Amino acid sequence: MLHSILKSAAVFLLILIGFILILLLPREQEITVFSAFHVEADYPFSFELYKERIQDFTDYILTEKGLGDARSGRPVSEESGIFVMRSIKIILPAFMVSMLLGTLMGALQFYRRKKFTGKLQNFLSWLFSSVPDFFLFIAIQYLLILMMQHGLPHFKLYGHENWYSFLLPLISLSVFPFLHMSRFTSAALENEMGEEYVRTTYAKGLGDFKALLHMLWNCWTPILNQAQLVMLYILSSLPIIEKLAGYNGAGKELLFSISSNDEIKALSLMLPFLFIMFITIIFSQIVKFWLVPKGRS
Amino acid sequence: MYFLIWIKKHALFCIGAVLLLILLAITFAGPYLPFVDRELSKITYILNEDKKPVIPPYPPSEDYLFGTDKSGRDLLSLIILGAKETILLVACITVLRYALAIPLSFLAHKKWMGTHLPLKWLNGLLSYIPTIIIVMLLAMLPPFLLTEYRPLFLLLIIGLAEMPRAAEMIKLEFDQISSKEYIYGGIAAGASPSRLFRTYYLPFLFSKLLVYMVTDLGKVMFLLGQLGFVGIFISQDLVQSMGGDWQLVNNSISWPMMLMKAFEDIRGPIWIPFFPAFAMTCAILTFNIIAQGLKSFFTKKVRYI
Repeated sequence: MLHSILKSAAVFLLILIGFILILLLPREQEITVFSAFHVEADYPFSFELYKERIQDFTDYILTEKGLGDARSGRPVSEESGIFVMRSIKIILPAFMVSMLLGTLMGALQFYRRKKFTGKLQNFLSWLFSSVPDFFLFIAIQYLLILMMQHGLPHFKLYGHENWYSFLLPLISLSVFPFLHMSRFTSAALENEMGEEYVRTTYAKGLGDFKALLHMLWNCWTPILNQAQLVMLYILSSLPIIEKLAGYNGAGKELLFSISSNDEIKALSLMLPFLFIMFITIIFSQIVKFWLVPKGRS
Repeated sequence: MYFLIWIKKHALFCIGAVLLLILLAITFAGPYLPFVDRELSKITYILNEDKKPVIPPYPPSEDYLFGTDKSGRDLLSLIILGAKETILLVACITVLRYALAIPLSFLAHKKWMGTHLPLKWLNGLLSYIPTIIIVMLLAMLPPFLLTEYRPLFLLLIIGLAEMPRAAEMIKLEFDQISSKEYIYGGIAAGASPSRLFRTYYLPFLFSKLLVYMVTDLGKVMFLLGQLGFVGIFISQDLVQSMGGDWQLVNNSISWPMMLMKAFEDIRGPIWIPFFPAFAMTCAILTFNIIAQGLKSFFTKKVRYI
């Protein structure tokens, strides 16, 4: 248990270093002004420059004892903290909805798999998981705008100021991972059907529901292995959805800082994301350790 | 009669095939439809009933089924004309990805010169950092910005970004097949490596590979959409503006390009990002239905061997 956590921590550190190295590749523009009408821009790209930038970066971190001040004058960590907190408001519920409700939905679907409703649910969940989240978001917006033109009470669709602002991004972001989890759970339960103990359960006359509980207990491992994937999916789509919604969270800010070559800021926003991934992995390992019966890997 | 039974058995595959045919028809024959404006003529303004000029974009109406973009070009025509480039790009990236992933996965399966280790590491990195961030960081590097081969490099970057994932999946398939009895039988019978690959591995791998590739077509389309929102695209030119700084200029009419200003358009002419995104969704759905159909098609086939 401890061994696997330490291993994950080592991997996390290496990945962090790898990301910083990618981030520090020289991408600055050098503009030389010869005269009012003659300006040349050049992008120098050499190994020496790269080494120099890495050196500068480490010096900066060491002298500032942290990430230093942002262009606005406040400490970077404080500024990023505000953005990250806004994003957490979307990330956590999305993750919870996907993992808990998704698994429950999958179990329900498996339970009804032979009935018409189960087949319909299977088809619908498969259909909706093909819809990209950005299209879902735009479609919901379009629908709301059209409805507002026809008498729906007005409310603000964009921004992050209102208490309900995070709902739209949350809904469009959660749909795919939720359906993924539900389909995955149902498939994992399907795989258990051939096991001996299921037959024993039925032979004892315990019925469908009890058998499902037995099976679910043996499916925790593959289900928990999906946690990392679900979180990665949420974090991948978050920047785009935030940008579309005008929701000033860490994702939107990260896109901006990368495109404006602000490495320190990009790092300060990416660090929490990487850390959230790390926590997810550790969390799923610990839960697996408690839930999974010994002797079954 | 037999034909009808066959269709019923592989219903999903047939639906997928029909949808794909429709998609290809729109792509290749669509530009010659009568209502498509091949010239993509621009409109500066239209006079309304009060003789007041109204500038584009115009919302969807009878004249413009999908509305127009900001320079007054008909969106429906834009989407139909842009289909060819979009589908071609998606296909190119996917083929490129698998052309690299298949040999790599075989080498990793054989553990040739420790190939499996870097693959594992790359997968570790990519399971932490979203693909779109990686592509963004690499696409804006000077060596790829300044070359005239930028489109080619970007194809490579987008293809490579998810290549390790594909390679890992195929490697698992290789591992699984290798542990089967009949492979030992083949080795005992003295089959050469190439024959082993051709007649023992490939028939089983082929179906899986096909399903993976078709599924990836949808994934690549999704990634291109996301990159479109960020404003990174394959056919871009670096142009020096009046102020002396350089700017990326887009000169393509593929679907992700129309999403570029989406976060501005979404507050006003929302139909501009809506319809390209809708077209992408239809394409992704088509690819997924075919993938699902192929899956059921092959599992039935393999079962009766």
